[in-house]
Amino acid sequence: MTGSPLHGGPDPMARAAVVSVRAVSAARRRWLSHNGQRLMFGYTLLAPAALYVLLLVGAPFLFSLYLAVSDANVGDPVARFIGLENFRSALEMDVFWISLRNSVVFLVVAAILKSALGTSLAFLLLQNFKGKKLIRGLVVIPFTLPVAISVLSWKWMYDSQFSVINWVLSRMGLIGQFGTEGWPVWLGDPKLALLACIMVNVWRTFPFSAIVLLAGFTSVPNEILDAAKVDGCNFFQRFRNVVVPMIFPILMIGFLFDTVFTLSDLSVVYLLTQGGPANATKILPVLAYQVGIQAGNLGRGAAIALFLVPLLFPALILVLRNLKRREY
Amino acid sequence: MAPPMTERRKSIRRHLLIYAALTPYVVIAVFPIYWMAITAFKQDPDLYRMEHFPFWFNLAPTLRNFKILFYQTNYGSWIWNTFTISGWVALITLVTAVPAGYALARLRLPGAENTGIAIFLTYLVPPIILFLPLSRVVAELGLQDSWWALVLVYPTFTIPFCTWLMMGFFKTVPMEIEEAARVDGCGQAGAFLRVILPISLPGVLTSVIFAFTLSMQDFLYGLAFVSPGDQKPVPVGVPTELIRGDIYYWGSIMAAALLVGLPVAILYNFFLDRFIQGITGGIGK
Repeated sequence: MTGSPLHGGPDPMARAAVVSVRAVSAARRRWLSHNGQRLMFGYTLLAPAALYVLLLVGAPFLFSLYLAVSDANVGDPVARFIGLENFRSALEMDVFWISLRNSVVFLVVAAILKSALGTSLAFLLLQNFKGKKLIRGLVVIPFTLPVAISVLSWKWMYDSQFSVINWVLSRMGLIGQFGTEGWPVWLGDPKLALLACIMVNVWRTFPFSAIVLLAGFTSVPNEILDAAKVDGCNFFQRFRNVVVPMIFPILMIGFLFDTVFTLSDLSVVYLLTQGGPANATKILPVLAYQVGIQAGNLGRGAAIALFLVPLLFPALILVLRNLKRREY
Repeated sequence: MAPPMTERRKSIRRHLLIYAALTPYVVIAVFPIYWMAITAFKQDPDLYRMEHFPFWFNLAPTLRNFKILFYQTNYGSWIWNTFTISGWVALITLVTAVPAGYALARLRLPGAENTGIAIFLTYLVPPIILFLPLSRVVAELGLQDSWWALVLVYPTFTIPFCTWLMMGFFKTVPMEIEEAARVDGCGQAGAFLRVILPISLPGVLTSVIFAFTLSMQDFLYGLAFVSPGDQKPVPVGVPTELIRGDIYYWGSIMAAALLVGLPVAILYNFFLDRFIQGITGGIGK
C-alpha cells in the first residue's frame, strides 16, 4: 500500500490506500510536531543553565586566554596584544619557579598523607560497630566546615607564642621552651611553613578520601568477595586482585577531584601565610592573585593562573573518561 | 550458659579495639573545632597565659567575645549578607539547574549525555583561572564592591554541580509516572511542573542545600570582588576585617568562625553522601 497519495480510482482498495496514506502522514506530522515540541521544550529548559555557564565560565575562560596575551592592567583599560610576553616574563621570575615547585611538593606530599589517613579510616569505618553514624559524622566535619573558617582555627593553633600544638609538644618534652631555639614557629619558619600549610590541607581533605573509598568498598558485592575467599584468596590478595580493580574508577575520580581542588586552592595558604615567609609557601594560585589583583597586572596574573592548566589537564581528561561510565 | 558470655565478651573486645583505633582520627578531626569553641568563650587573660592548662576554663567563661562581634564589628551585616547571597544563589540555581537536569535526563535531546558532562566539567574549572576575567565582568556591570557580585559569580559553580545532580536524580524517577500523567491529559510542561517536580522535591531540596553550602566554601571570589567592610559574607569578612595588622582578637575571631561554621558543617554533613555520589557518578552508596 505504498501508492502515490495523488492516485485515486474506482478501485476500493486504492481508495483505502489513499485514506490510509493520508492517515499515516497525519500521524507522522503529529509525531514530528510532537517531536519538535519536545525538543523545543527541552532546549527551553536547558537554555538558562547553558547560557549561564557559557557566559560566565566559557567566555571568561576564553577571556583569560586573551588577557594572558595582552598587557591589560587595572589602571589602563586599553589592552594591547603582546603575544607570549606574559608567559615569558613569568618564566623569568624566580618566584614563579619557587611557586611551581611548592605547588607540586604541596600536591604530592598532601596526596600521600591523605591517602594513608583516608585508607586506614575507610577500613575502620567499614566495620560494623555501635555509634558508627555519630563517629562518621564527627570525622567528616573538617571537610564540611567552610575552608576560610577552619583555617582561622589552625592559624590560632599555629600562633607563634600561644600555639596549643607547641604547648602539648613542650609538656611532652619533645620541643624546647618558648623563646629558645627549640620552639617551632610554625608559620614564621621557612622550613616549617609549607609543612604547616600541607597539614591543614590534609586535615581538611582526608575525610573526603575516606568517604570516597568507603563508597567504593561498599559497592563491591559480597558474593564476589566470598567467591574469592572460597577460591583461597587471603585478605591482601582479595584486596589487591578483587577490590582495587573494581573500585579503580571511583578511586581515580576521587583522586582527580582532589588534585584539582588542592592545586587550585589559595585560601589555606593565603590565610595562613600569604605565601611567606620568604616565599616558602608561595604556590601558583597565591602568586596569580598577588600579581593579578594586588599588583594590578591582569595579563601576567592570568598567564600565571593558566600555568595550572597543563597541570590539571591530564586530571580533566581522566575524569571525563570515567564520567562516561557512570550508571544510574 | 558459657557460650553467649564469651560471645558477648568477644563483641565488647572488638568494639573496644575499633573505638581505640578510631580515637586518633576523631581527635584530629574534631580538635580544631573544640579549640575554636573553647577560645570563643574564654576571657582574654585566660587565652594569653602559657602556664595555664589550655584545654579548659581557668577563668569563668564569658560571652564578651560574641558581644564585641555584634556591637563593634560588621558581623551582623556579614551574617545577613551570607544568607541573602546564598538565598539568591539557591534561587538562581534552582530555576536554571532543575529544568536543565530534567531536560538532559528525560527529553531525549540529541547529545544530552555529552552536554551534561560538558556542563559538569565546568565545575572543575578552578576559580583561580576565572577570577581575573570575571573581575572585568563584575566591573562592567557596576557590581564591584557589593555582594551582588557574588550572587552573579557563585552560580558558576553551583549550576554545573546541581545540574549534574538533578540529571542523575531525574533518571531515577520511573518513566511510567510521566507517561501516566501524559495519558491523563497533562501537557509536557504540565507533566514536569505538576507531577515530576513534586515527587522530586528531595532532589530539589538537596540542590538548594548545595547551592548554600558550596557558596560558603568560597573565599577567593569574595576576597577579590568585595572590599567594603559591610558588604562581605562571613567567610571573607572574618579573616579580612577582624585581623588587622599583627593584632589578633582571637576570642572574637573564633566566636565568629564558630557561630556560622558549625551550623553549616552540620547541615552539609547530612548531605555529604549525596555530594560524594554526585562527583563519583553514583557508584556505590
